Amino acid sequence: MTSVTISGVGITQFESAAGRSILELAATAAKRALDDCELSSSNVTSIHVGNALGTRSGLGNALASTLSMEGVRADRVENTSASGASAAHRGVEAVASGESTVALIVGVEKMSHGETSDVTESISQLVHEREYVQGLTLPSFGGLAASAYLDRYDAPRDALATVAVKNHKNAADNPIAQFREQITLEEALESPVVADPLRLYDCCPMSDGAAALVLSSGDGVKVTSIGSATGTHAVADRTDLLEIESVRTAGERTFDRAGLTPRDVDVACIHDAFTILELLELEELGFYDRGTAWEATLNGETQLEGELPVNPGGGLKARGHPLGATGLSQIIELTWQLRGDLPDNRQVPDATTSFAVNVAGFGNNSVCTLLES
Amino acid sequence: MSESNATPADETIPVDHAFSCENCGHRWYYTRSRCPNCAKNEVETYKLSHGELVVRTEVSMTPPDVRTPNALGLVRFGDLTLIAQLADDVAEVGSRVTFTGEHRLRDGDEFMGPRLTSV
Repeated sequence: MTSVTISGVGITQFESAAGRSILELAATAAKRALDDCELSSSNVTSIHVGNALGTRSGLGNALASTLSMEGVRADRVENTSASGASAAHRGVEAVASGESTVALIVGVEKMSHGETSDVTESISQLVHEREYVQGLTLPSFGGLAASAYLDRYDAPRDALATVAVKNHKNAADNPIAQFREQITLEEALESPVVADPLRLYDCCPMSDGAAALVLSSGDGVKVTSIGSATGTHAVADRTDLLEIESVRTAGERTFDRAGLTPRDVDVACIHDAFTILELLELEELGFYDRGTAWEATLNGETQLEGELPVNPGGGLKARGHPLGATGLSQIIELTWQLRGDLPDNRQVPDATTSFAVNVAGFGNNSVCTLLES
Repeated sequence: MSESNATPADETIPVDHAFSCENCGHRWYYTRSRCPNCAKNEVETYKLSHGELVVRTEVSMTPPDVRTPNALGLVRFGDLTLIAQLADDVAEVGSRVTFTGEHRLRDGDEFMGPRLTSV
């Protein structure tokens, strides 16, 4: 198998309502990724687009043409909020197998395309049919899981709010982030209730944006391992509400293939669509024992200057969550960290190994990626 | 126990019914195209009796065709667990609950069904 590297990365501003079309967003990120490496568009042999809502069909074909790349293979990957990382997974496989020599991966979403209620309805349909009947939404699962977590581990509500404060702080210095204002613990704790005990600042926003990678076998950050796994469709079908099997399985596959463990990771991007997910996923992946990630968070271990910096770019929570672009934005943040591209106030010193997990739905599917400089 | 024969993926089964495999006896609530234990297709349905409220949430921001707020509970019925709407009288975790009544779970006649109430 050919080793795969990230030769270039590109990303647009993440924002609540972009003034550009979904195709323009995708093309902008793609051109920035190509400008970031020594390869040109004529080197690209495949395009893999991650896009969840499907507001424009044939997006990969339109992108190939607008980039003047007619003739390349192109496809679109849909895996709800993990569409970006799933597109990366497909691209990595294409390069590793020799099917493609240079793969352009583009994740894009324009959630402002329709009415908010329409987008909410579209997202709510990813739940199981018997969950849909009950009016369940992703924040509903977050509220139930947060309530169970705080109760089982006797954790304070401050622990969830601290995740939000940390990620907003990290986004403040990230120029592409949707939210660049820091928040206080009190503001997080007193924001409107979404799904008790989760409040507004515990939840990621809806976003527009695009992100792109150029994958090849040349110079660049090494994609050491990438792995995916599905979980149960219905959340209540799980053995335990606080366990996310897809995260655990994808993580095990990814670490095992690389011969690495969570202890080898210097910096991580964790899918924090809700603050509770950051804690659950850190525990599921083995970064912390069950019931202890909240204490580590309160102790500052996941801060930028902590032992395990988590979501240094602000996470979904504050950088934003344009579904199809999110997984790639995590990989791009980690690429910047490993290349040492960032200013001192953003840079994790001496990072050589990084990890990302991008989650579909409330754990219906997960994609994990390990990168090394 | 058995009330009717059904296909494992039958979406018309009432929300207060679960599935049981005729071959191995395995039970489940969330529709599947075959038994998750033995992969056979022959199933029966049965009405759930009483469960225990394990955890609850009250959702303040709901889809436009769902009540606001929407009180939801994760409930354990023996070895099955499900999430369903709670009636106004269910407040405490640990409460014994059962499905009763005919309520509008979402807008539309196809979404009429029982909610969980305290026993």
